[in-house]
Amino acid sequence: MTNPSSASSARADSRAGSRSTSQRGTHSGVRLDPRAKLYLLLLANLLLFFHVDTRGEAIMVALFLLPLFVAGRWRNGLRLAVLYFALLGLGLWSDAATMSGSGGSGGSLIGMIGGGVTDTAAGSSGTTVAAEDVAATAASATDAFVTAGHVAGLLSVGIRMMMPCLITGAYAFTTTSISEFVCAMRRMRVPEAIVIPCMVVIRFFPTIVHDYRQIRNAMALRGIAAGRFALVRHPVQSLEFIIVPLLMNATFVSRDLSVAALTKGLGIAGEHTCMTVIRMCWFDWAYMAVCTAPLALAIGGVL
Amino acid sequence: MTQQPTAAPSPAPAAPQPTSAAKPGRLAIPDLISIGIFTALYFVCVCVATLVSTLIAGAGTIFLPAVAALICGPVFMLSVARVGKFGGITVMGVVIGLFLFVSGHFALSFVASIVFPLAGDLIARIGNYKNRVTILIGYVVFCYGLTGPILPLWFMKDAYVASLEARGKSADYINTLFSQISVGSFFVAMAAILVCGLIGGWFGQRILKKHFVKAGIA
Repeated sequence: MTNPSSASSARADSRAGSRSTSQRGTHSGVRLDPRAKLYLLLLANLLLFFHVDTRGEAIMVALFLLPLFVAGRWRNGLRLAVLYFALLGLGLWSDAATMSGSGGSGGSLIGMIGGGVTDTAAGSSGTTVAAEDVAATAASATDAFVTAGHVAGLLSVGIRMMMPCLITGAYAFTTTSISEFVCAMRRMRVPEAIVIPCMVVIRFFPTIVHDYRQIRNAMALRGIAAGRFALVRHPVQSLEFIIVPLLMNATFVSRDLSVAALTKGLGIAGEHTCMTVIRMCWFDWAYMAVCTAPLALAIGGVL
Repeated sequence: MTQQPTAAPSPAPAAPQPTSAAKPGRLAIPDLISIGIFTALYFVCVCVATLVSTLIAGAGTIFLPAVAALICGPVFMLSVARVGKFGGITVMGVVIGLFLFVSGHFALSFVASIVFPLAGDLIARIGNYKNRVTILIGYVVFCYGLTGPILPLWFMKDAYVASLEARGKSADYINTLFSQISVGSFFVAMAAILVCGLIGGWFGQRILKKHFVKAGIA
């Protein structure tokens, strides 16, 4: 996951003196400092917490998407952008349909689900209005349709609300190397009891994938769960046959890693230093400020 | 990772011993590495659980902790057997919470993933990490730490209700629409975690006895 060329270039930068962050990671464009990424994540969470209106949310999402493109993650960024704006369009369209009709949002949503079967939608929207008139006490068959329509609307709104978090998370995950991450955590005074497991987790993921492939090969060799859906057919057996070798291997790897880490001096008391240099430059601060401003305005109700 | 001798010359003669030889009850570096590896396996199990629970139904994400509780038993039991010190379960939960947060989940999930594993750790500590019953109860409590990722569902509900109110729907209408969905689903999800935690923990202990105790690993 760490690539040696960027690490060595970062070291060269630090030796050269005060170079800006934009020089780091030459192959993949400009990247923010890990702590700035963490701040963006916090902002996205605040956005989720304070139910900002649609316009503010769209502005924030555009701001969050920008670093992905700048970092050169075109495909990832485009996919997220298309998903968000499709959901946004869906929501706006359903809002408009609700405004034009006489409060029959259930009807319009049913029309959406039913693929535009107009007469059904019209009929059910008529009954929806009637059901509202009697304050939804009568449990008719259309109520179930209305509920289903609202659940669909709820899902689309819900997924759209999760999107800022998902975008910033994708950005943080795809553009941070292990050493940057560890360095940032140490700089933020996270205790070693958290830093070391985090390091091991990131390092161990590829090993799990590799082990899983080998286990599946071994199972296929013995004719166990060889078919496509065979794993699903005997779930308890597959769970046991896969997780036991994984755990066996995990214990051996943990022993080996412990020996290696202690040899490298991880157990020595005192402050540990990092090869990778991370630095907050003006760009990080500026971007944090740029992202904070619309959120603060939207929460304050100005925007 | 590398320790530069020129940076800190004074503490080196004071504490040259690696912490593994220090106090028996504290987490040492090998313990932390084991915890890291078991956390990675646990995280993979959580990812599988996410996949499974989304395949079951569109809104099946509320059963994510329950499905995870069902399949993570062996990982948890082996980690307790291997580490067996106070703090191990807590660190596991915190690291999972950190990864969920970085991968874009709600910050509240972080709170849940500290509080519940800590409680589970304390419960398992009563039996000195040897008693099967306290470990099982600890596992069930630990499983509630994963409720963090599904908490936004209830926040989303609030947002949707707010948007409905803005469109001029009556409060009665909204209440009848959501009273069943929210409260009912909440309790069903919580009860499912309890049941699945018990089953998964029992399965994990059986696996432990069948494979790892015999092999001398646990």
